[in-house]
Amino acid sequence: MIQYAARRLLIAVPMLLGAMSIVFFSMRILPGDPCVAMMGDQATSDALADCSRNLGLNRPLAVQYADYLWRSVRFDFGTSFRQGYPVSEYIGRMFPHTFVLVMASAVVAAVIGIPIGIASALQRRNPLIDYPLRIFALLGLSMPVFWLGILLLIVFSLRLDLFPLIGGGDLDGVIAMIRSGEAFVYPRDFFAAVGDVLYHLALPALALGFTLAATVSRLARSAMLEVISQDYIRTARAKGTIERKVIYKHALRNMMVPLLTIIGVFIAIALTGTVLTETVFTRPGLGKMLVDAIGARDYPLAQGAITVFTMVIIGVNLIVDMLYAVVDPRITFR
Amino acid sequence: MAIVRQAEPGDLPIADARPTARSGLGALLRRWVPIGIGILMAAAMIVMAAAAPLISPMSPSAQHASAVLKGPGAVEGHWLGTDEFGRDILSRVIWGARVSLEVGLASVAFAFALAVPLGILAGFRGGRIGAVIMRGSDMLMAFPTLLLALIIVTALGGSLGNEILAIGVALMPNFVRLARSLSLTIRENDYIIAARALGAGQLRLMARHVFPNALYALIVVATLYIATAIRTEAGLSFLGLGVPPPTPTWGNILSDGRQYIKCCPWITTFSGLAIMLAVLAFNIVGDALRDLLDPRMRSE
Repeated sequence: MIQYAARRLLIAVPMLLGAMSIVFFSMRILPGDPCVAMMGDQATSDALADCSRNLGLNRPLAVQYADYLWRSVRFDFGTSFRQGYPVSEYIGRMFPHTFVLVMASAVVAAVIGIPIGIASALQRRNPLIDYPLRIFALLGLSMPVFWLGILLLIVFSLRLDLFPLIGGGDLDGVIAMIRSGEAFVYPRDFFAAVGDVLYHLALPALALGFTLAATVSRLARSAMLEVISQDYIRTARAKGTIERKVIYKHALRNMMVPLLTIIGVFIAIALTGTVLTETVFTRPGLGKMLVDAIGARDYPLAQGAITVFTMVIIGVNLIVDMLYAVVDPRITFR
Repeated sequence: MAIVRQAEPGDLPIADARPTARSGLGALLRRWVPIGIGILMAAAMIVMAAAAPLISPMSPSAQHASAVLKGPGAVEGHWLGTDEFGRDILSRVIWGARVSLEVGLASVAFAFALAVPLGILAGFRGGRIGAVIMRGSDMLMAFPTLLLALIIVTALGGSLGNEILAIGVALMPNFVRLARSLSLTIRENDYIIAARALGAGQLRLMARHVFPNALYALIVVATLYIATAIRTEAGLSFLGLGVPPPTPTWGNILSDGRQYIKCCPWITTFSGLAIMLAVLAFNIVGDALRDLLDPRMRSE
């Protein structure tokens, strides 16, 4: 097991390095000078040279690259060109927003997707159930999250006035209250703040969760189909166990194992989804930060955001690999 | 490496323990109706894009000062309404199909043409060459499609060609992996051994024996990735990183319309609907083709 874990880790390191190199070099061939973007077209050439020296852009590319790698390992992504303060601080502030969005949409996706996947696997011979469910899955897969987001905004925010149009609620406040212990002193204020965050979270989580539910339902469907074709299910049925018990007691538990592997896949899709979702709902978060940083040619900020995205995806996959080996010991011997 | 990027619709094979006993007209309909609908929808999209100059009621960039932000049917001739410059939404959506389908088809063709030979080579030859190809592909695989396309298109700038390149590169690792796994299976077949015994060289084996046998599965998956490519293009356009205005794309029509969702939701509604229908069409075709491919379903 330890050997397996070490091998996985050793594969993940060059992968991360490669991915980070791709990020670094693509940011360097970006059209347009970040100093011009910062100071405007009218800046004198002296001022521009000064700016580029201050930002370290006049150093050889190899030096900048080595510097970037060394700093990234320590989560130091430099200073934002535009905002003037450390990128890691900015990312630290944005990360919770994206985290709660991913988690909330995961809940939505699981609540909608898993039952649908199971039902469509068990009822696959009943076209009245299987067909609508498959059509739903296809619609979910084809629905762009930004369009669904806009439709939800039109209906629930503009027409019915039930949910806010923009913003993410005072998540920073909630976190500060937990940290300072105020949450326990003033529980009423705390729950009001949490409620406000959830109020802002509802539509984005629903939009992202719905588009992810389609993927989850397909994976759940194939996991269930795989499980119910196993010998132990046949044995359970042969023993005369009632069908409901076969499903709930034998099949459901076992299908969770293959479903576990999709967490990695899921996080990757959800994180990408946040880029579009946060933009549509004008919510603070890593995705929106990335889009804004690209627009402002803020290299360190964009680079930091993409590096964090990649680290999270590779990290989650690594953890899932390990978890999978714990759940299914046969894996380590392959 | 067990990094899996996305559960794209194209992931093969889907374990499916469907019963094989189906017969008669019902089964025939059940199999061919979805594929028929999908093909019809996809064909309609392609015809719409190709014939845009002929079927579009007016120019997509013509501004009508007398009809600014008018709803569907409010002004004669503007069936789907107009935008903030008085441009006809229907015409813009029809012309927008061009960019979406061009990017969708060309980026998949690009990924297919580059990645399939690499994947077949990696699977057939294995060894060091295979390892290098697979590690490179794993590295790209660490990025989700949209994120990688976003990085590339940001670096190169938004244009039709760059978008095709960016999405094509982002899709490549999927094709490399599939082609490799197919070629690993195919190379064990007796006909490969027979061809080798007859003196066929490696290149000939790969080109004349492995590739044709992998082609069907590859085309099925390619169809599904056209859907992914169209969705990714729309996403990039929506973020303002796609083909720049005034060229209409579904993504940029939708993005522009965001400012007017309060008064004029038709702008975003119809452009989004177009994206969804196009993605849906290719998803249906790919899905239906995959069902046909599944041997457990064919052995009736």
